[in-house]
Amino acid sequence: MKRYALLALALIFLAIYLFPLYWMYLTALKPSSETFTYPPTFWPHHPEWNFAKVFVDKKMATYLSNSLLIAIGTTVIVALFGTGCAYALSRVRSVWMDIVLFLILMMQVLPSSLMATPIFVIFNQIGLIATPRTAVVLVQAAKVLPLYIVLTRTSFMQIPKELEEAARVDGASRFGAFMRIAVPLARNGILVTSVLIFLQSFGEYVYSRSLISEEALQTATVGLMNFMGPNTTDWNGIMTYAVIYVTPILFVFVLLQRKIVSGLTAGALK
Amino acid sequence: MSALFRGLRDGHGFDALLALLALVYLLTFSAFPLIYNIVMSFQEVDMFSMADLVRPFVGLANYKALFASPDFWPILRNTALFVLLSIVFQLAIGFGLALFMQQDFPGATYLRGLFLAAWIMPALVVGAVWKWIFAGDFGVLNYFLSQLGLVGSKVFWLSDPAISLYSVTIANIWLGIPFNMILLSVGLAGIPKDMYEAAALDGANALQRFWHMTLPMMRSTLGAVISLGIIFTLQQFDLFASLTQGGPANASNVAQYWSWQLSFQTYDIASGSAVSCLMLGFVIVVAVIYVRSTRHEHRA
Repeated sequence: MKRYALLALALIFLAIYLFPLYWMYLTALKPSSETFTYPPTFWPHHPEWNFAKVFVDKKMATYLSNSLLIAIGTTVIVALFGTGCAYALSRVRSVWMDIVLFLILMMQVLPSSLMATPIFVIFNQIGLIATPRTAVVLVQAAKVLPLYIVLTRTSFMQIPKELEEAARVDGASRFGAFMRIAVPLARNGILVTSVLIFLQSFGEYVYSRSLISEEALQTATVGLMNFMGPNTTDWNGIMTYAVIYVTPILFVFVLLQRKIVSGLTAGALK
Repeated sequence: MSALFRGLRDGHGFDALLALLALVYLLTFSAFPLIYNIVMSFQEVDMFSMADLVRPFVGLANYKALFASPDFWPILRNTALFVLLSIVFQLAIGFGLALFMQQDFPGATYLRGLFLAAWIMPALVVGAVWKWIFAGDFGVLNYFLSQLGLVGSKVFWLSDPAISLYSVTIANIWLGIPFNMILLSVGLAGIPKDMYEAAALDGANALQRFWHMTLPMMRSTLGAVISLGIIFTLQQFDLFASLTQGGPANASNVAQYWSWQLSFQTYDIASGSAVSCLMLGFVIVVAVIYVRSTRHEHRA
């Protein structure tokens, strides 16, 4: 009995905590007249489906495809550069590897908003600013690469060395053993971490805002900021935009929730 | 040459090569800008000299101008207040929830994970949702508070200079609770259960067990969570951009947002990089303390 009372209490806590999400979905469904009633209503009595209208009016197809492009590019670069490094860090214990790990941890903590200034000046000088989405991919990858390495390293550490040694005895090279034994065995960790990196980059704002000036190349976060403007009143439209943007993210999260949580907790405290 | 190649393919050279690839990437796109930033903070940099390779050095002039600016100390105070309040409340609420979720009931692990739904959302969207919740005239927060009888008239959460910083802090606390809770849950799970049973047999009540057993056993986890909290709180930019943009009149501005504003809105790149250098230095010091403290634990 007590267990169900606790469960009920936990559900109440979760409901209070996630109320802002409910409010977002609710506002998106209300017609604009109902949005501005006081006292507010807590159930959409006359739900209005204006997702398609907001999606077209606010050019969300362009914004979202730019965000998608940046998220995919970032994830690919991070996986290419990070997987090997995470593997090496899990296999070799030496002063040199400790130094590498230390430097990587240091570069994990640099806030994007503070790095934006020097990066903007450098990219202007070398001309990378002319291809702004590539520029964002390059720096966003540098931002999230350390997290990827730290989290993936813990998955490699769980794979016994003996499996690779057996493959080596059978004549495989180090590279062969890495590609055919270590990576496939660590694929769960690699996939979940890649999804995490993808989702984070899909919501990137600082670098996109600082480096991309052309509107057609901007991301969904910048689009939302433009929509919000200084004297916003179209909350119904803004929440509709938000719902279209985050629903796929929340969907992926709910699907992979258990794995994301365990991956995070394994890596974050080590 | 072939020995080198064989080393790369089969020996320790292989590990070194893999590690170096990522390290070189990070040195190019993180460490180099970091150093470049330090150099820039001693130079005269504006929109026109930005593209020049050689710029005049001005010594400490940028920093002196910064310290003399009337905005500097209030913004530093805001930053400290923002970090302090965020961490205290994230930790307290996160710890409370972690202790609660630690109890035995159906679905506890799953429900605990669902809290992270907030954390996974783009912070800018979270800011948009909170901006609507905070809205003065039709905001739902004012409605709740007036129904509870806590406020007489409508509170203008984002446009009242005495309140706006606290409003952003509230949104940031909301955003940080799940991460704190999950990390603290891991620490709690590491405390052996039989210790509690023994203490309960000896007649210790719940509060005594928490104070004399849970807290001391959690000391290292708490240290890690607090350092990570400082680091993440100083990364918070999107909420400021979407909620108040530092306003009204810098009342809710913090260093990490100010630095960006100086560079990208007033094009005073030299000042922007000076603020950025000061803050980056601070973040790195916190990170060194954090990494060193977790290292010690591994050795012990």
